Amino acid sequence: MAEDVVFTPVRQLAEGIRARRVSPVALAETFLDRLERLGPRYNAVVTVTRDRAIEQARRAEAEIAAGRYRGPLHGIPYGAKDLLATSGGIPTTWGAAPFKDRCFDFDATAILKLEAAGAVLCAKLAMVELAGGMGYRQPNAAFTGPGVNPWNREAWSGGSSSGSGSAVAAGLVPFAIGSETWGSILSPAGNCGLAGLRPTYGRVSRHGAMALCWTLDKLGPLALTADDCGLVLEAIAGRDAADPTTVDRAYRYDAGAPAARSFRFGVLRGITDGCEDAVRENFARSLEVLLGLGTVEEVALPDLPYDDITRTILFAEAASAFEDLIESGAIAGLTAPEDRYTPYARDAILAKDYVKALRLRSAMARAADRVLAPLDALVAPGRATVAAMLGAEVRSAIRGTARDVMGAVGNGAGLPAVAVPNGFGARGLPTSLQFMGRAWEENTILAAARAYQSATDWHRRHPADL
Amino acid sequence: MSEGDAVRAEVETLLALVRARYGSRLSEEQLAGVRTSIEAIVQASHALRAVRLTNADEPAQPFAAYRAEP
Repeated sequence: MAEDVVFTPVRQLAEGIRARRVSPVALAETFLDRLERLGPRYNAVVTVTRDRAIEQARRAEAEIAAGRYRGPLHGIPYGAKDLLATSGGIPTTWGAAPFKDRCFDFDATAILKLEAAGAVLCAKLAMVELAGGMGYRQPNAAFTGPGVNPWNREAWSGGSSSGSGSAVAAGLVPFAIGSETWGSILSPAGNCGLAGLRPTYGRVSRHGAMALCWTLDKLGPLALTADDCGLVLEAIAGRDAADPTTVDRAYRYDAGAPAARSFRFGVLRGITDGCEDAVRENFARSLEVLLGLGTVEEVALPDLPYDDITRTILFAEAASAFEDLIESGAIAGLTAPEDRYTPYARDAILAKDYVKALRLRSAMARAADRVLAPLDALVAPGRATVAAMLGAEVRSAIRGTARDVMGAVGNGAGLPAVAVPNGFGARGLPTSLQFMGRAWEENTILAAARAYQSATDWHRRHPADL
Repeated sequence: MSEGDAVRAEVETLLALVRARYGSRLSEEQLAGVRTSIEAIVQASHALRAVRLTNADEPAQPFAAYRAEP
């Protein structure tokens, strides 16, 4: 199959598959070849799952030929962050050298749901070791090497879903699944010029996903468009008895025309403080676009230590989740030098302070909901900077070297957000715009993001030579 | 004792705990990194403690009583 299918959104690929103009097997072969040929250039891939992909693609082709079309992901190739368990001898490494040969005998619920939707698993994608929860300070923090940005190969693709970001941005898969505890979907989406959706906590089952922080971890898609993110979310959302944090709320993606409505956007006071000039300028231009879609007003959150709340919860739960690895000293086998000792400091978090953070989290969630209730979305830069260079230190709210109120509140309160590209900054690297909504309002923020993408063309631009 | 002195004293106490537990596997350079991380943890804990809550302010947590059904 010609490579003109590369950088084609899922929705259009699906139309071709349904009309039988596009063969799922040929489509899988195209992306498998790209994963094998180009994946190493970006340190994007841990395992190409060729055998499983071809089997799934052949099944899809046969079903569609027999008139059993399952929906828009039927026959669509994808990649999964390598923290999702996969059976059949496919390793699940968590990006960490101590686990590089480890296999599970079951599939994560998200993998099963995508299989049920007819999607074709083509690769397990690289990630920052242990999803970045050990305190890494620079991009070289995975046994597969630093995630390389397709827009500039001397820059990072973002963490911790680094392979999910670079694989979609390089046209190695049409969409990917990532995970976010604090920033790990929105960051690679922003760094790589993609759409990335962080669902509401409890929307998507985490069964079979590596636990970094039980009360913060979420799974979500990275794709070429916000619309594609909605298609994927519908496939992976839903209650799962194996994950008691999932809720019994059916999710149907509403792809209705966004032009049919006017949006009410809020911007937190001072939200661009500390942002790079290009990020601030592109955000200002984005607000001009949003003014054509509705209203924009300045809002404020009450004064609470948002970053400290979410950081304390993350550090304490991560220290417990990886207790064996830390206590045994096996963290000495991790790639980033700082990941080999920083976790020991987590013993300094007192139980009373962790509980205080959980109590303040309730206050934070109520405060955020009060601000968001009259709005369709809070909007903000997706990240304060463009992607870091591969040899540079990464500024991180998790470590306290950058502030990220939107990330602290959004993740701490479990709120959905979607990031989309909104321009370029230094070194030809993308910048992004995020829409964050009330709990369970994925359809609202996706409608807003679609409306923005209907009025701009940043999502139609792709790295050269690909 | 000033706030700064209180923070420093707390950091030293907690660093001593970490050193007692893991010191044998940490170099001086790594211990310096641990100290920096503990300083950030202590500062965060002070920020959390500075916010007053009432007795009725419960943690956000999903615990539910469990009973296996036949």
